[in-house]
Amino acid sequence: MENLSFEESLEKLEEIVNKLESGDVPLDDAIDEFNNAMQLVKICENKLSVAEESIAKIVKDNGQIEDFNIQ
Amino acid sequence: MENEYYTVSQINAYINKKLKFDNNLKNVYVKGEISNFKTYSSGHSYFTLKDEKSQIPAVMFKGRKHSLKFQPEDGMKVIIKGKVEVFERDGKYQLYATTMTEDGIGALYVAFEQLKKKLKAEGLFDDAHKKEIPEYPRRIGVVTAQTGAAIRDIITTIKKRYPYCEVLIFSTLVQGDQAAGQIVRQIKHAQEFDIDTLIVGRGGGSIEDLWPFNEEIVARTIYDCKIPVISAVGHEIDWTISDYVADKRAPTPTGAAMIAVPDTNEVKFKITQLNGRLNKNMKDMISQNKTKLNHISQKQILKNPESIYEIKAMILDNLVTKLELASKKNIVENKNKLLKLENRNILRNPEEILRMKREPYLRNLDKLNVLNPLLTLKRGYTLTKLEGKVVSSAKEVKSGDQLDVEFDDGVINTRVI
Repeated sequence: MENLSFEESLEKLEEIVNKLESGDVPLDDAIDEFNNAMQLVKICENKLSVAEESIAKIVKDNGQIEDFNIQ
Repeated sequence: MENEYYTVSQINAYINKKLKFDNNLKNVYVKGEISNFKTYSSGHSYFTLKDEKSQIPAVMFKGRKHSLKFQPEDGMKVIIKGKVEVFERDGKYQLYATTMTEDGIGALYVAFEQLKKKLKAEGLFDDAHKKEIPEYPRRIGVVTAQTGAAIRDIITTIKKRYPYCEVLIFSTLVQGDQAAGQIVRQIKHAQEFDIDTLIVGRGGGSIEDLWPFNEEIVARTIYDCKIPVISAVGHEIDWTISDYVADKRAPTPTGAAMIAVPDTNEVKFKITQLNGRLNKNMKDMISQNKTKLNHISQKQILKNPESIYEIKAMILDNLVTKLELASKKNIVENKNKLLKLENRNILRNPEEILRMKREPYLRNLDKLNVLNPLLTLKRGYTLTKLEGKVVSSAKEVKSGDQLDVEFDDGVINTRVI
Protein backbone atom coordinates (compact mmCIF):
# COMPACT_ATOMS: atom_id res chain seq x y z
CA MET A 1 0.00 0.00 0.00
CA GLU A 2 3.02 2.29 0.58
CA ASN A 3 3.64 2.20 -3.16
CA LEU A 4 0.39 3.95 -3.97
CA SER A 5 0.55 7.55 -5.09
CA PHE A 6 -1.04 10.15 -2.86
CA GLU A 7 -3.99 10.40 -5.22
CA GLU A 8 -4.48 6.63 -5.28
CA SER A 9 -4.20 6.41 -1.49
CA LEU A 10 -6.77 9.12 -0.97
CA GLU A 11 -9.09 7.63 -3.57
CA LYS A 12 -8.81 4.23 -1.95
CA LEU A 13 -9.44 5.71 1.47
CA GLU A 14 -12.55 7.45 0.21
CA GLU A 15 -13.72 4.28 -1.47
CA ILE A 16 -13.36 2.24 1.73
CA VAL A 17 -15.14 4.83 3.86
CA ASN A 18 -18.01 4.95 1.39
CA LYS A 19 -18.16 1.17 1.25
CA LEU A 20 -18.20 0.85 5.03
CA GLU A 21 -20.87 3.51 5.29
CA SER A 22 -23.04 1.61 2.86
CA GLY A 23 -23.28 -1.06 5.57
CA ASP A 24 -22.98 -4.00 3.18
CA VAL A 25 -19.68 -5.22 4.54
CA PRO A 26 -19.64 -8.22 6.90
CA LEU A 27 -18.00 -7.42 10.26
CA ASP A 28 -14.84 -9.48 9.72
CA ASP A 29 -14.21 -7.85 6.34
CA ALA A 30 -15.14 -4.46 7.79
CA ILE A 31 -12.47 -4.80 10.45
CA ASP A 32 -9.87 -5.68 7.80
CA GLU A 33 -11.00 -2.74 5.67
CA PHE A 34 -10.93 -0.47 8.69
CA ASN A 35 -7.34 -1.42 9.41
CA ASN A 36 -6.42 -0.83 5.76
CA ALA A 37 -8.15 2.55 5.85
CA MET A 38 -6.36 3.58 9.03
CA GLN A 39 -3.10 2.71 7.35
CA LEU A 40 -4.10 4.81 4.34
CA VAL A 41 -4.92 7.75 6.59
CA LYS A 42 -1.45 7.48 8.06
CA ILE A 43 0.14 7.24 4.62
CA CYS A 44 -1.75 10.27 3.33
CA GLU A 45 -0.95 12.32 6.40
CA ASN A 46 2.70 11.34 6.21
CA LYS A 47 2.91 12.38 2.60
CA LEU A 48 1.48 15.78 3.46
CA SER A 49 3.63 16.26 6.54
CA VAL A 50 6.90 15.75 4.74
CA ALA A 51 8.23 19.27 4.51
CA GLU A 52 8.94 19.12 0.83
CA GLU A 53 9.65 22.28 -1.03
CA SER A 54 8.20 22.16 -4.48
CA ILE A 55 11.10 22.12 -6.84
CA ALA A 56 10.95 24.17 -10.00
CA LYS A 57 13.15 22.98 -12.82
CA ILE A 58 13.70 24.18 -16.31
CA VAL A 59 13.89 21.81 -19.26
CA LYS A 60 16.41 22.92 -21.84
CA ASP A 61 15.87 22.37 -25.54
CA ASN A 62 18.36 19.51 -25.47
CA GLY A 63 16.28 17.80 -22.77
CA GLN A 64 18.65 18.67 -19.92
CA ILE A 65 16.93 19.61 -16.68
CA GLU A 66 18.32 22.33 -14.46
CA ASP A 67 17.14 23.88 -11.20
CA PHE A 68 15.15 27.02 -11.70
CA ASN A 69 15.07 30.08 -9.50
CA ILE A 70 12.52 32.81 -9.88
CA GLN A 71 14.15 35.88 -11.32
CA MET B 1 -29.46 73.11 -74.91
CA GLU B 2 -27.01 75.98 -74.34
CA ASN B 3 -29.72 77.97 -72.57
CA GLU B 4 -30.62 75.20 -70.16
CA TYR B 5 -29.25 75.59 -66.62
CA TYR B 6 -29.41 73.45 -63.55
CA THR B 7 -29.81 74.88 -60.15
CA VAL B 8 -27.15 74.05 -57.52
CA SER B 9 -29.63 71.90 -55.71
CA GLN B 10 -30.41 70.04 -58.87
CA ILE B 11 -26.79 69.31 -59.68
CA ASN B 12 -26.07 68.14 -56.15
CA ALA B 13 -29.19 65.99 -56.14
CA TYR B 14 -28.16 64.57 -59.49
CA ILE B 15 -24.69 63.71 -58.25
CA ASN B 16 -26.14 62.20 -55.11
CA LYS B 17 -28.45 60.05 -57.21
CA LYS B 18 -25.49 58.91 -59.32
CA LEU B 19 -23.49 57.90 -56.28
CA LYS B 20 -26.40 56.10 -54.71
CA PHE B 21 -26.61 53.89 -57.78
CA ASP B 22 -23.06 52.72 -57.22
CA ASN B 23 -23.19 49.50 -55.22
CA ASN B 24 -19.52 49.70 -54.33
CA LEU B 25 -20.13 52.87 -52.35
CA LYS B 26 -23.02 51.42 -50.39
CA ASN B 27 -20.82 49.17 -48.32
CA VAL B 28 -17.16 50.13 -48.07
CA TYR B 29 -14.34 49.53 -45.63
CA VAL B 30 -12.07 52.56 -45.36
CA LYS B 31 -8.84 52.68 -43.45
CA GLY B 32 -7.42 55.96 -42.19
CA GLU B 33 -6.46 58.23 -39.36
CA ILE B 34 -8.96 60.30 -37.42
CA SER B 35 -8.56 64.08 -37.27
CA ASN B 36 -10.78 66.93 -36.13
CA PHE B 37 -12.98 64.54 -34.20
CA LYS B 38 -15.91 66.43 -32.73
CA THR B 39 -19.12 65.31 -31.10
CA TYR B 40 -22.02 67.77 -31.19
CA SER B 41 -24.73 68.19 -28.57
CA SER B 42 -26.99 66.17 -30.85
CA GLY B 43 -24.73 63.18 -30.13
CA HIS B 44 -23.57 62.88 -33.73
CA SER B 45 -19.81 62.85 -34.31
CA TYR B 46 -18.06 64.57 -37.23
CA PHE B 47 -14.43 64.05 -38.20
CA THR B 48 -12.05 63.77 -41.07
CA LEU B 49 -10.51 60.49 -42.14
CA LYS B 50 -7.15 60.90 -43.80
CA ASP B 51 -4.05 59.18 -44.98
CA GLU B 52 -0.72 60.63 -46.11
CA LYS B 53 -2.12 62.01 -49.34
CA SER B 54 -5.82 62.58 -49.02
CA GLN B 55 -8.82 63.06 -46.78
CA ILE B 56 -12.57 62.54 -46.65
CA PRO B 57 -15.16 64.07 -44.33
CA ALA B 58 -16.89 61.51 -42.18
CA VAL B 59 -19.86 61.32 -39.85
CA MET B 60 -21.04 58.81 -37.29
CA PHE B 61 -24.58 59.27 -36.10
CA LYS B 62 -25.48 58.88 -32.46
CA GLY B 63 -27.49 55.71 -33.18
CA ARG B 64 -24.41 53.92 -34.54
CA LYS B 65 -22.12 54.69 -31.67
CA HIS B 66 -23.32 51.89 -29.35
CA SER B 67 -21.15 49.49 -31.37
CA LEU B 68 -17.96 51.40 -30.52
CA LYS B 69 -15.56 49.48 -28.29
CA PHE B 70 -13.33 52.49 -27.77
CA GLN B 71 -13.45 56.26 -27.65
CA PRO B 72 -12.27 57.63 -31.00
CA GLU B 73 -9.63 60.29 -30.80
CA ASP B 74 -7.57 62.37 -33.21
CA GLY B 75 -4.57 60.49 -34.53
CA MET B 76 -6.17 57.03 -34.10
CA LYS B 77 -5.86 54.64 -36.99
CA VAL B 78 -9.22 53.09 -37.62
CA ILE B 79 -11.17 50.94 -40.04
CA ILE B 80 -14.60 52.24 -40.87
CA LYS B 81 -17.41 50.34 -42.43
CA GLY B 82 -20.05 52.52 -44.03
CA LYS B 83 -21.35 54.17 -47.18
CA VAL B 84 -20.39 57.19 -49.24
CA GLU B 85 -23.14 59.67 -50.08
CA VAL B 86 -23.47 63.34 -50.97
CA PHE B 87 -24.44 65.88 -48.37
CA GLU B 88 -26.43 68.02 -50.73
CA ARG B 89 -26.64 71.15 -48.59
CA ASP B 90 -22.86 71.59 -48.57
CA GLY B 91 -22.22 70.01 -51.92
CA LYS B 92 -19.76 67.54 -50.53
CA TYR B 93 -19.61 63.80 -50.44
CA GLN B 94 -18.79 62.13 -47.15
CA LEU B 95 -18.33 58.83 -45.41
CA TYR B 96 -21.26 57.72 -43.22
CA ALA B 97 -19.77 55.33 -40.68
CA THR B 98 -21.83 52.40 -39.38
CA THR B 99 -19.01 50.68 -37.45
CA MET B 100 -15.54 51.75 -36.48
CA THR B 101 -12.73 49.52 -35.12
CA GLU B 102 -9.16 50.23 -34.33
CA ASP B 103 -6.93 49.35 -37.24
CA GLY B 104 -4.87 46.21 -36.77
CA ILE B 105 -6.98 45.07 -33.89
CA GLY B 106 -9.94 45.08 -36.20
CA ALA B 107 -8.23 42.77 -38.63
CA LEU B 108 -7.10 40.51 -35.78
CA TYR B 109 -10.59 40.52 -34.39
CA VAL B 110 -11.97 39.33 -37.71
CA ALA B 111 -9.30 36.64 -37.92
CA PHE B 112 -10.08 35.57 -34.34
CA GLU B 113 -13.78 35.26 -35.02
CA GLN B 114 -13.19 33.34 -38.22
CA LEU B 115 -10.81 30.83 -36.61
CA LYS B 116 -13.06 30.43 -33.60
CA LYS B 117 -15.99 29.65 -35.85
CA LYS B 118 -13.98 27.19 -37.91
CA LEU B 119 -12.51 25.25 -34.97
CA LYS B 120 -15.83 25.20 -33.18
CA ALA B 121 -17.44 23.70 -36.28
CA GLU B 122 -14.72 21.05 -36.30
CA GLY B 123 -15.62 20.15 -32.72
CA LEU B 124 -12.31 21.22 -31.15
CA PHE B 125 -14.11 23.01 -28.32
CA ASP B 126 -16.50 20.15 -27.53
CA ASP B 127 -16.73 19.20 -23.87
CA ALA B 128 -16.53 15.55 -24.87
CA HIS B 129 -12.85 16.07 -25.76
CA LYS B 130 -11.95 17.78 -22.51
CA LYS B 131 -9.75 15.77 -20.18
CA GLU B 132 -10.05 15.74 -16.40
CA ILE B 133 -7.41 17.77 -14.58
CA PRO B 134 -5.71 15.44 -12.04
CA GLU B 135 -6.59 16.41 -8.49
CA TYR B 136 -3.28 15.61 -6.81
CA PRO B 137 -0.55 16.02 -9.40
CA ARG B 138 3.03 15.00 -8.75
CA ARG B 139 4.49 17.04 -11.59
CA ILE B 140 3.22 20.06 -13.47
CA GLY B 141 4.59 21.32 -16.75
CA VAL B 142 4.49 25.00 -17.62
CA VAL B 143 4.91 26.28 -21.15
CA THR B 144 5.60 30.00 -20.82
CA ALA B 145 8.42 32.52 -20.78
CA GLN B 146 11.01 31.73 -18.11
CA THR B 147 11.16 35.42 -17.34
CA GLY B 148 8.10 37.36 -16.44
CA ALA B 149 5.20 37.49 -14.06
CA ALA B 150 3.41 34.38 -15.28
CA ILE B 151 5.99 31.79 -14.23
CA ARG B 152 6.63 33.61 -10.96
CA ASP B 153 2.92 33.64 -10.11
CA ILE B 154 2.54 29.97 -10.97
CA ILE B 155 5.52 28.78 -8.92
CA THR B 156 4.64 30.97 -5.95
CA THR B 157 1.06 29.77 -5.92
CA ILE B 158 1.99 26.09 -6.19
CA LYS B 159 4.54 26.43 -3.39
CA LYS B 160 1.99 28.06 -1.17
CA ARG B 161 -0.85 25.65 -1.85
CA TYR B 162 0.72 22.29 -2.50
CA PRO B 163 4.49 22.12 -2.11
CA TYR B 164 4.65 18.40 -2.90
CA CYS B 165 4.54 18.92 -6.59
CA GLU B 166 7.39 19.43 -9.00
CA VAL B 167 7.24 22.15 -11.63
CA LEU B 168 8.93 21.62 -15.00
CA ILE B 169 9.34 24.77 -17.06
CA PHE B 170 9.41 24.65 -20.85
CA SER B 171 10.47 28.14 -21.73
CA THR B 172 9.19 29.83 -24.87
CA LEU B 173 8.69 33.21 -26.42
CA VAL B 174 5.13 34.28 -25.74
CA GLN B 175 4.81 37.16 -28.18
CA GLY B 176 5.99 38.07 -31.62
CA ASP B 177 6.18 36.12 -34.86
CA GLN B 178 8.39 33.37 -33.45
CA ALA B 179 6.20 32.67 -30.46
CA ALA B 180 3.56 30.37 -31.94
CA GLY B 181 6.16 27.99 -33.39
CA GLN B 182 8.06 27.84 -30.10
CA ILE B 183 4.93 27.31 -28.05
CA VAL B 184 3.97 24.40 -30.30
CA ARG B 185 7.43 22.87 -30.03
CA GLN B 186 7.47 23.13 -26.25
CA ILE B 187 3.99 21.64 -25.83
CA LYS B 188 5.22 18.68 -27.88
CA HIS B 189 8.45 18.54 -25.91
CA ALA B 190 6.54 18.48 -22.62
CA GLN B 191 4.71 15.34 -23.71
CA GLU B 192 7.98 13.43 -23.63
CA PHE B 193 8.01 13.86 -19.84
CA ASP B 194 5.96 12.22 -17.13
CA ILE B 195 3.73 15.19 -16.40
CA ASP B 196 0.25 15.20 -14.87
CA THR B 197 -0.95 18.61 -15.98
CA LEU B 198 0.38 21.18 -18.44
CA ILE B 199 -0.16 24.91 -18.01
CA VAL B 200 0.18 26.94 -21.21
CA GLY B 201 0.05 30.70 -21.03
CA ARG B 202 1.48 34.09 -20.32
CA GLY B 203 0.73 37.25 -18.36
CA GLY B 204 -1.37 40.17 -19.50
CA GLY B 205 -0.69 42.24 -22.59
CA SER B 206 -2.25 43.85 -25.61
CA ILE B 207 -4.27 41.79 -28.03
CA GLU B 208 -1.24 41.70 -30.32
CA ASP B 209 0.89 40.43 -27.47
CA LEU B 210 -1.56 37.65 -26.74
CA TRP B 211 -1.93 36.81 -30.40
CA PRO B 212 0.25 33.68 -30.57
CA PHE B 213 -2.38 31.99 -28.40
CA ASN B 214 -4.91 32.72 -31.13
CA GLU B 215 -2.88 30.95 -33.78
CA GLU B 216 -4.45 27.89 -35.34
CA ILE B 217 -1.26 25.84 -35.02
CA VAL B 218 -1.15 26.49 -31.25
CA ALA B 219 -4.83 25.63 -30.88
CA ARG B 220 -4.43 22.34 -32.72
CA THR B 221 -1.34 21.38 -30.72
CA ILE B 222 -3.20 21.99 -27.47
CA TYR B 223 -6.09 19.95 -28.79
CA ASP B 224 -3.80 17.04 -29.67
CA CYS B 225 -1.88 17.19 -26.38
CA LYS B 226 -2.06 13.93 -24.41
CA ILE B 227 -1.52 15.74 -21.11
CA PRO B 228 -4.50 17.71 -19.74
CA VAL B 229 -3.92 21.38 -20.58
CA ILE B 230 -4.88 24.43 -18.55
CA SER B 231 -4.70 27.62 -20.58
CA ALA B 232 -3.79 30.81 -18.74
CA VAL B 233 -3.46 33.72 -21.11
CA GLY B 234 -3.52 37.32 -19.94
CA HIS B 235 -6.23 38.52 -17.61
CA GLU B 236 -9.75 37.50 -16.75
CA ILE B 237 -11.22 39.50 -19.66
CA ASP B 238 -8.88 38.14 -22.31
CA TRP B 239 -10.24 35.18 -24.20
CA THR B 240 -8.03 33.44 -26.71
CA ILE B 241 -8.55 30.45 -29.00
CA SER B 242 -6.24 28.51 -26.65
CA ASP B 243 -8.77 29.11 -23.86
CA TYR B 244 -11.54 27.53 -25.90
CA VAL B 245 -9.57 24.50 -26.97
CA ALA B 246 -7.78 23.75 -23.67
CA ASP B 247 -9.18 21.20 -21.23
CA LYS B 248 -9.62 24.00 -18.70
CA ARG B 249 -9.39 27.78 -18.97
CA ALA B 250 -7.85 29.73 -16.14
CA PRO B 251 -8.47 33.48 -15.88
CA THR B 252 -4.81 34.17 -15.02
CA PRO B 253 -1.55 32.23 -14.49
CA THR B 254 -2.20 32.35 -10.72
CA GLY B 255 -5.65 30.95 -11.41
CA ALA B 256 -4.08 28.17 -13.46
CA ALA B 257 -1.88 27.15 -10.53
CA MET B 258 -4.93 27.12 -8.27
CA ILE B 259 -6.73 24.81 -10.66
CA ALA B 260 -3.66 22.63 -11.12
CA VAL B 261 -3.01 21.86 -7.44
CA PRO B 262 -5.26 21.48 -4.41
CA ASP B 263 -4.91 23.49 -1.23
CA THR B 264 -2.99 21.41 1.30
CA ASN B 265 -5.18 22.65 4.15
CA GLU B 266 -8.28 21.50 2.35
CA VAL B 267 -6.71 18.13 1.64
CA LYS B 268 -5.71 17.73 5.28
CA PHE B 269 -9.23 18.67 6.32
CA LYS B 270 -10.61 16.11 3.91
CA ILE B 271 -8.39 13.39 5.37
CA THR B 272 -9.44 14.36 8.89
CA GLN B 273 -13.06 14.13 7.84
CA LEU B 274 -12.55 10.74 6.22
CA ASN B 275 -10.77 9.57 9.34
CA GLY B 276 -13.68 10.78 11.46
CA ARG B 277 -16.24 9.05 9.27
CA LEU B 278 -14.16 5.90 9.35
CA ASN B 279 -13.97 5.79 13.14
CA LYS B 280 -17.59 6.67 13.64
CA ASN B 281 -18.59 3.99 11.21
CA MET B 282 -16.49 1.38 12.99
CA LYS B 283 -17.80 2.44 16.39
CA ASP B 284 -21.38 2.23 15.15
CA MET B 285 -20.74 -1.12 13.60
CA ILE B 286 -19.23 -2.54 16.77
CA SER B 287 -22.00 -1.22 18.99
CA GLN B 288 -24.64 -2.54 16.59
CA ASN B 289 -23.07 -5.95 16.63
CA LYS B 290 -22.72 -5.87 20.40
CA THR B 291 -26.42 -5.14 20.74
CA LYS B 292 -27.19 -7.96 18.36
CA LEU B 293 -24.95 -10.30 20.32
CA ASN B 294 -26.56 -9.30 23.62
CA HIS B 295 -29.95 -9.84 22.15
CA ILE B 296 -29.07 -13.29 20.93
CA SER B 297 -27.33 -14.35 24.12
CA GLN B 298 -30.48 -13.45 26.07
CA LYS B 299 -32.39 -16.11 24.25
CA GLN B 300 -33.60 -19.01 26.47
CA ILE B 301 -31.93 -21.65 24.41
CA LEU B 302 -28.50 -20.21 25.07
CA LYS B 303 -29.15 -19.45 28.69
CA ASN B 304 -30.35 -23.01 29.24
CA PRO B 305 -28.64 -25.19 26.70
CA GLU B 306 -30.10 -28.39 28.26
CA SER B 307 -33.38 -27.40 26.78
CA ILE B 308 -31.99 -28.28 23.37
CA TYR B 309 -31.98 -32.00 24.27
CA GLU B 310 -34.52 -32.05 27.06
CA ILE B 311 -37.32 -32.36 24.58
CA LYS B 312 -35.51 -35.07 22.69
CA ALA B 313 -34.86 -36.91 25.92
CA MET B 314 -38.53 -36.77 26.72
CA ILE B 315 -39.44 -38.21 23.36
CA LEU B 316 -36.90 -40.92 23.83
CA ASP B 317 -38.23 -41.78 27.30
CA ASN B 318 -41.67 -41.97 25.88
CA LEU B 319 -40.58 -44.39 23.17
CA VAL B 320 -38.72 -46.57 25.61
CA THR B 321 -41.77 -46.80 27.83
CA LYS B 322 -43.91 -47.74 24.86
CA LEU B 323 -41.42 -50.35 23.79
CA GLU B 324 -41.26 -51.83 27.27
CA LEU B 325 -45.01 -52.01 27.52
CA ALA B 326 -45.31 -53.60 24.12
CA SER B 327 -42.70 -56.25 24.75
CA LYS B 328 -44.08 -57.01 28.22
CA LYS B 329 -47.49 -57.66 26.73
CA ASN B 330 -45.96 -59.92 24.13
CA ILE B 331 -44.11 -61.94 26.72
CA VAL B 332 -47.18 -62.36 28.87
CA GLU B 333 -49.23 -63.48 25.90
CA ASN B 334 -46.65 -66.04 24.87
CA LYS B 335 -46.24 -67.19 28.43
CA ASN B 336 -49.98 -67.78 28.66
CA LYS B 337 -49.95 -69.73 25.41
CA LEU B 338 -47.12 -71.81 26.72
CA LEU B 339 -48.84 -72.38 30.01
CA LYS B 340 -51.96 -73.46 28.18
CA LEU B 341 -49.95 -75.87 26.12
CA GLU B 342 -48.12 -77.17 29.13
CA ASN B 343 -51.35 -77.67 30.91
CA ARG B 344 -52.66 -80.03 28.26
CA ASN B 345 -52.99 -83.59 29.61
CA ILE B 346 -51.25 -85.17 26.77
CA LEU B 347 -48.11 -83.38 27.48
CA ARG B 348 -48.26 -84.06 31.14
CA ASN B 349 -48.68 -87.87 30.46
CA PRO B 350 -47.16 -89.07 27.16
CA GLU B 351 -47.71 -92.81 28.07
CA GLU B 352 -51.40 -92.17 27.77
CA ILE B 353 -50.93 -91.63 24.03
CA LEU B 354 -49.17 -94.95 23.72
CA ARG B 355 -51.83 -96.60 25.71
CA MET B 356 -54.55 -95.00 23.66
CA LYS B 357 -52.91 -96.12 20.39
CA ARG B 358 -51.99 -99.62 21.60
CA GLU B 359 -55.45 -100.66 22.73
CA PRO B 360 -57.17 -100.51 19.33
CA TYR B 361 -54.14 -102.06 17.74
CA LEU B 362 -54.30 -105.08 19.99
CA ARG B 363 -58.01 -105.36 19.45
CA ASN B 364 -57.54 -105.37 15.67
CA LEU B 365 -54.73 -107.84 15.91
CA ASP B 366 -57.02 -110.37 17.62
CA LYS B 367 -59.60 -109.89 14.88
CA LEU B 368 -56.96 -110.43 12.23
CA ASN B 369 -55.79 -113.65 13.88
CA VAL B 370 -59.36 -115.03 13.78
CA LEU B 371 -59.58 -114.28 10.06
CA ASN B 372 -56.09 -115.37 8.96
CA PRO B 373 -56.46 -118.31 6.56
CA LEU B 374 -53.02 -119.43 7.21
CA LEU B 375 -53.94 -120.24 10.80
CA THR B 376 -56.67 -122.47 9.42
CA LEU B 377 -54.01 -124.41 7.53
CA LYS B 378 -52.36 -125.16 10.82
CA ARG B 379 -55.44 -126.93 11.87
CA GLY B 380 -55.16 -129.32 8.82
CA TYR B 381 -56.99 -127.42 6.13
CA THR B 382 -55.28 -126.80 2.70
CA LEU B 383 -55.56 -124.16 0.16
CA THR B 384 -56.03 -125.21 -3.50
CA LYS B 385 -54.87 -122.85 -6.22
CA LEU B 386 -55.06 -123.03 -10.01
CA GLU B 387 -52.49 -120.95 -11.73
CA GLY B 388 -52.04 -118.91 -8.50
CA LYS B 389 -55.75 -118.34 -7.88
CA VAL B 390 -57.62 -119.93 -4.96
CA VAL B 391 -60.08 -122.60 -6.08
CA SER B 392 -63.23 -122.39 -4.05
CA SER B 393 -65.51 -124.67 -6.21
CA ALA B 394 -65.02 -128.10 -7.75
CA LYS B 395 -66.54 -126.77 -10.90
CA GLU B 396 -63.59 -124.49 -11.46
CA VAL B 397 -61.32 -127.38 -12.29
CA LYS B 398 -61.31 -129.93 -15.01
CA SER B 399 -59.40 -133.10 -15.65
CA GLY B 400 -55.76 -132.62 -16.39
CA ASP B 401 -55.43 -129.21 -14.50
CA GLN B 402 -52.32 -128.83 -12.46
CA LEU B 403 -53.29 -127.71 -8.94
CA ASP B 404 -51.13 -126.35 -6.11
CA VAL B 405 -52.21 -127.58 -2.71
CA GLU B 406 -50.79 -125.41 0.05
CA PHE B 407 -50.24 -126.87 3.50
CA ASP B 408 -49.14 -125.05 6.53
CA ASP B 409 -45.61 -126.20 6.04
CA GLY B 410 -45.39 -126.47 2.19
CA VAL B 411 -46.95 -126.97 -1.22
CA ILE B 412 -47.59 -130.10 -3.29
CA ASN B 413 -48.36 -130.25 -6.96
CA THR B 414 -51.24 -132.50 -8.11
CA ARG B 415 -53.10 -133.35 -11.24
CA VAL B 416 -56.84 -133.72 -11.53
CA ILE B 417 -57.69 -137.22 -12.86
